[in-house]
Amino acid sequence: MSPMGRLRMLIDSLSHPRVTEKYPYEPIPIPEDFRGKPEIDPEKCIGCAACARVCPPNAITFRDDHEQGYRVLQVFLGRCIFCGRCQDSCPVGAIKLTKEFELVSLSKDDLYQVVKLELAKCVRCGKYTVPYRYIKYLMEKGPKILKYELLLCPECKSEVMTLIKYHYAQEVHE
Amino acid sequence: MVDVLKKSIWVFHLNSGSCNGCDIEVLDVFTPRPDFERFGVKLVPSPRHADAIALTGPITRAMVPKVVEAIKALPEPKIVLAIGACACGGGIWHDTYVVVGGIDEFYKILKEEYGMDPPTTIYIPGCPAKPEALIYAAGILADIIKQKQRRREDVIREEDEEKRKIETIIREEIGSRHFLPKIIVKRGPKEGSV
Repeated sequence: MSPMGRLRMLIDSLSHPRVTEKYPYEPIPIPEDFRGKPEIDPEKCIGCAACARVCPPNAITFRDDHEQGYRVLQVFLGRCIFCGRCQDSCPVGAIKLTKEFELVSLSKDDLYQVVKLELAKCVRCGKYTVPYRYIKYLMEKGPKILKYELLLCPECKSEVMTLIKYHYAQEVHE
Repeated sequence: MVDVLKKSIWVFHLNSGSCNGCDIEVLDVFTPRPDFERFGVKLVPSPRHADAIALTGPITRAMVPKVVEAIKALPEPKIVLAIGACACGGGIWHDTYVVVGGIDEFYKILKEEYGMDPPTTIYIPGCPAKPEALIYAAGILADIIKQKQRRREDVIREEDEEKRKIETIIREEIGSRHFLPKIIVKRGPKEGSV
């Protein structure tokens, strides 16, 4: 390269500002529609597990602890693909994608969020059924079904329905 | 971490069945804008020259012996950066047959079949992991930043008043139907006997 060329290059590089971000020392701007860490608001969550059903990689899972009487919802961020389907499916807006992306951790344990919701008991046999919050939500906004069904476990529900059919049949017969 | 790594971190990039999303981010982070080399991080072509392995992908079964070899070749202290959802927990492929399903499942195989202790692991979630997330991981390695993400556990118990309110509404509903109390209160006969 000729001396003139070198000079031109020097002027060129001096006239441009620095492109490197100062990221770890200064925060970086995040786009408005950025999809980051999903977070459950435990005060709003009703424990319907709709998010667990739609989650493509099963990052959100749930299980019913019948001994302690809790529904345990678990978000494992290590498996999350940040698609936002949980946010779309939540009926009460309890799960939201935040703008948090600094999820790096040294142990797998730190990547979990666990929400435990208290389960209601079946009025007939005393087994645990669904969370109280879910029943409350269904009473307010759910389909207009018979309310006694809400506090029955699935087995008792089917038995009671059979008995009601039997009862009606007898009444008609009489 | 700072007492373990006192000098620049050299990284060996190992693709174990990734979709190339994370691999492109690994290349991306060395471009002038994020500029990974500020922290002394450099890609090297052999695990023998490296301090850490940048592992992407859910680790396919065919790849297991190769990953084991790479980890064996890595000098002490061994460090693995699990990049992306696939490496951290299996991602979309966590239960497919052809894949081990994430680094923790791989460590079980490493311990049972090869008798090796799992190396120090840094989990970098994301699908793909943001270049800034990789920089954050390097910051944690170099002890510039502290880990932000922590386990969160909430136990929600309903108040007794709420419970009683729900139960009274349902008991009223049951009472309003003349045939229901006798069916519901005591357990009726089984379906077969009816």
